[in-house]
Amino acid sequence: MSSISTEAKVGLFVLAALIILAYMSFRVGEYGFGLKKGYLVNVVFDDATGLEKDASVQIAGVEVGRVEDISLKDGKALVTLRILPSVELEKDVEAKIKSYGILGDKYVDIVPGTKDGTYITAGGDITRTGQQADIDKLLSELGIIAGDVMKITSSLKNVLGSAEGEANLKAIVENTRSITENLNRVVTQNDEKLNLMITNLGEASAEMRNAFAALNNIVERIDSGEGTIGQLVENRDVFDNLNQTLASIRDITDKINKGEGTIGKLVNDEDTVDNLNASLKSLEKSMDGIERYVSKSEQFKTFLSYRGEYLFDGGDGKGYFDLTIRPKEDKFYVLGLVADPRGSRTVTDTTVGATPTTRTETWERDELLFTAQIGKRFKDIALRGGIFESTGGVGIDYFAFDDRLQVTFEAFDFDSDRNAHLKTYAEYRLLKHIYLSAGWDDFISNEGRESPFIGFSIKFEDEDLKYLLGSVPIPK
Amino acid sequence: MNKIAATIDNFGRAILDNIEEMGRILILFLSVLMWMVRPPLKLRLIFRQMEFVGVKSIFVVVLTGTFTGMVMALQGYYGFKMFNAESLVGSTVALGMTRELGPVLTALMVTARAGSAMAAELGTMRVTEQIDALYVMATNPVKHLIVPRVIAGVVMLPLLTVVADFMGILGGYFVGVPILGINSGAFVNNITKMVDLGDIYHGLTKAAFFGLILSVVGCHKGFNTTGGAEGVGRATTEAVVLASVSILISDYFLTAIMF
Amino acid sequence: MIKLVDIHKSFGRQKVLDGVNLEIEDGKTTVIIGGSGGGKSVLLKHIIGLLKPDSGQVIVDDVDIVSLNDRDLNEIRKKFGMLFQDAALFDSMNVLENVAFPLKEHTRKKEKEIREIVEERLRAVGLTGVEDKMPSELSGGMRKRVGLARAIAMHPQIVLFDEPTTGLDPVMTEAINELIIETQKIFDLTCVVISHDVQSIFTVGHKIAMLYEGKIIEYGTPEKIKMSSNPVLRQFLSGSLEGPINVI
Repeated sequence: MSSISTEAKVGLFVLAALIILAYMSFRVGEYGFGLKKGYLVNVVFDDATGLEKDASVQIAGVEVGRVEDISLKDGKALVTLRILPSVELEKDVEAKIKSYGILGDKYVDIVPGTKDGTYITAGGDITRTGQQADIDKLLSELGIIAGDVMKITSSLKNVLGSAEGEANLKAIVENTRSITENLNRVVTQNDEKLNLMITNLGEASAEMRNAFAALNNIVERIDSGEGTIGQLVENRDVFDNLNQTLASIRDITDKINKGEGTIGKLVNDEDTVDNLNASLKSLEKSMDGIERYVSKSEQFKTFLSYRGEYLFDGGDGKGYFDLTIRPKEDKFYVLGLVADPRGSRTVTDTTVGATPTTRTETWERDELLFTAQIGKRFKDIALRGGIFESTGGVGIDYFAFDDRLQVTFEAFDFDSDRNAHLKTYAEYRLLKHIYLSAGWDDFISNEGRESPFIGFSIKFEDEDLKYLLGSVPIPK
Repeated sequence: MNKIAATIDNFGRAILDNIEEMGRILILFLSVLMWMVRPPLKLRLIFRQMEFVGVKSIFVVVLTGTFTGMVMALQGYYGFKMFNAESLVGSTVALGMTRELGPVLTALMVTARAGSAMAAELGTMRVTEQIDALYVMATNPVKHLIVPRVIAGVVMLPLLTVVADFMGILGGYFVGVPILGINSGAFVNNITKMVDLGDIYHGLTKAAFFGLILSVVGCHKGFNTTGGAEGVGRATTEAVVLASVSILISDYFLTAIMF
Repeated sequence: MIKLVDIHKSFGRQKVLDGVNLEIEDGKTTVIIGGSGGGKSVLLKHIIGLLKPDSGQVIVDDVDIVSLNDRDLNEIRKKFGMLFQDAALFDSMNVLENVAFPLKEHTRKKEKEIREIVEERLRAVGLTGVEDKMPSELSGGMRKRVGLARAIAMHPQIVLFDEPTTGLDPVMTEAINELIIETQKIFDLTCVVISHDVQSIFTVGHKIAMLYEGKIIEYGTPEKIKMSSNPVLRQFLSGSLEGPINVI
């Protein structure tokens, strides 16, 4: 059939296969067929975890030898390296254990020393060793951090979760109450200043009211089909009013920022200052401690928010000033002040007109109401309980669209004489710190106080608060 | 009740038949060992079988090895890409080929090619009384027919596996480096770093075992053929099935023992 | 001399040989006749040790081969040659290699010498110039001739023929019969022929034995067989459907 005999064919095949085998063995074997060449040097590592026999020894990523042996010497790892004869190691080379990538094998990396003509001889030692930051070390450090975080959260739990914690919280609420009492006292004692404040507040409110009244008027006219948009735009009064309102608001915030104005002057009283200072200091202290670690986990957050609401039926503005502390993702505390132009419920025996034009100004609007609530969040739902506008109550918030939209229902001021105060509204985040809201206040009131409202809010996180409130240090 | 009894009866008989067959294969293997060491060794017959099992299987083994390596490289690439570890494709292909796929696929291909041919050849010889003729001419058929085939299987399978390993890695390289754009240095270096001599030689040891299995099973099935041409066909099929299954099962145990 | 003593053989539940007693004379051709599937081939395989009886003795030159081990049996077998039904030539070898096979296996003769013997044996069976052909290239009659050449290659004392004329045309049948007779004479062979071809029986046989239902029911010279009044034999020789042999 062919000139090549069976034997020759088989022989050729066997030869070819053996050559391939020899080639593959040579490539993967150590220095070809495991031939032991090279000289030995010793190096002592504190820790040779993961290093194995026959691991690579490299200089600048070039293999110059293999790990010959690993043994224990005086509680340290004595690693014997076999170095290629063609490679000379300076006396002051440094050996490090490194790994290929995060999960790769370990190898010994040798950093060349100074070229002064002295070299390590066979059987000599490499005296300089280094430790490489590797995944093990990283993990152990992460472990320490996790331990710290655990300690803090457990102490926080002890502080806030226990009966003692609750008592403390009660004490805090109590303190807040006494502070407001103090404030009241300050207010009465500083009648002049108070007057000034009320005047200021009154001016601001009046301007706001005017602006909103005009706005209301416009809306009504639009509703009733009166006038045109052109006419509306040419009405300078509206703009003037709006401008004035905005100017006033700016004025007020400026003053607050500078520590001037009414709120600034409020804290002129020595007692208040002392109290505030003391509480702020202790707050600062605890914040210091908490922030240092907890901020790493990015759970602890503080929010400061202002919300203004315009009640259509009352023609009044309502202001909320809230501090929300969120130690954990799902838990928060709200402390706040509410400025209600209609005053507190203790003076509500006067009936109110149905239209803005017939409203009276007999309300005790000088009284500030306060808020202190504990809340817990379950996914998209948050439940709140505590003090709402100086009375007991509960609230529920529903969050949607990545928390951009918040729908809230609140019930408070439970009294046998009248229906409870129910309030519902939706708040939508327009820009980063700006929110718009709309809702219905006191909608089951049997005293004719039900009113739809619109409002806007400004909310700041602790990052932003640093710049806004220089007097409250939030260490980062 | 009769049906149940018959089922149990058949089941038990099937088990007994299997055990008996295993025993027969073992006895055949032992007699092969015995005849292997009894001179004279029929070198010419051995060479002819080596040519048949080895040389003539090169093409199919090269084809199988190459494409296996190529597809491994392709599949491995998609996996390793997720970790940005594309250069590990080379060592994956090399380790997979040397340790597992080289020996097993070679054995399966040779089973299909040569194992079946052994069964068919010996089966035909049995039904046409050629085996009886050997007996009559005072020649032991085990020595004359089976020993050369078994020797050829045991010797040639590792050599074919070397070819399959090499071609697989080459195929992987071809897909990995020019087509998928893996750095060629990283590809080759990872192979030399991760693959041990042990990986190659353990794979070849497995291949030798597989060669033994496929040749002994093929010869056994052919040697004990009954029932004419139809019997030869049955013997061939059974030989391929039994040898393939035995190879895959023994592969697990060999791997467990060696690695 | 070959002597079969009370041979019993069953395959599973089927009793094939049921107490066969037969003496085969040296230097003569003994023909064993009987129906298809009647156990003639089985009997022949017992003679050469390919099958072992369930009970009974097969005595070849005063040795009971039933109890022999492989090595001793192989020594006995070297006295035999056998022509199988389809010649059983090795497919993988050409005619020369087939005929030379036993010589290569059992002698230390040189290649050239072997070739000479092979050519001589082939000439003896009436074939020339077919040495390099493969068995598949040969006709049925030629295959039988090559088979016979292989059977007598080692110059055996005894040659067994398993249905040598089956599947051949009448002319070829006659040629093969002549060949059997001639070779028997030339090599002074003891021949055992199995056949159911009535024509051939009387041509080649010195002695004829009839195997029926596992037993030898008639034994004797062709003349004696022809005269036999045994109804089974009568029916067999006449090829009639009427009689004790139930074919259906």
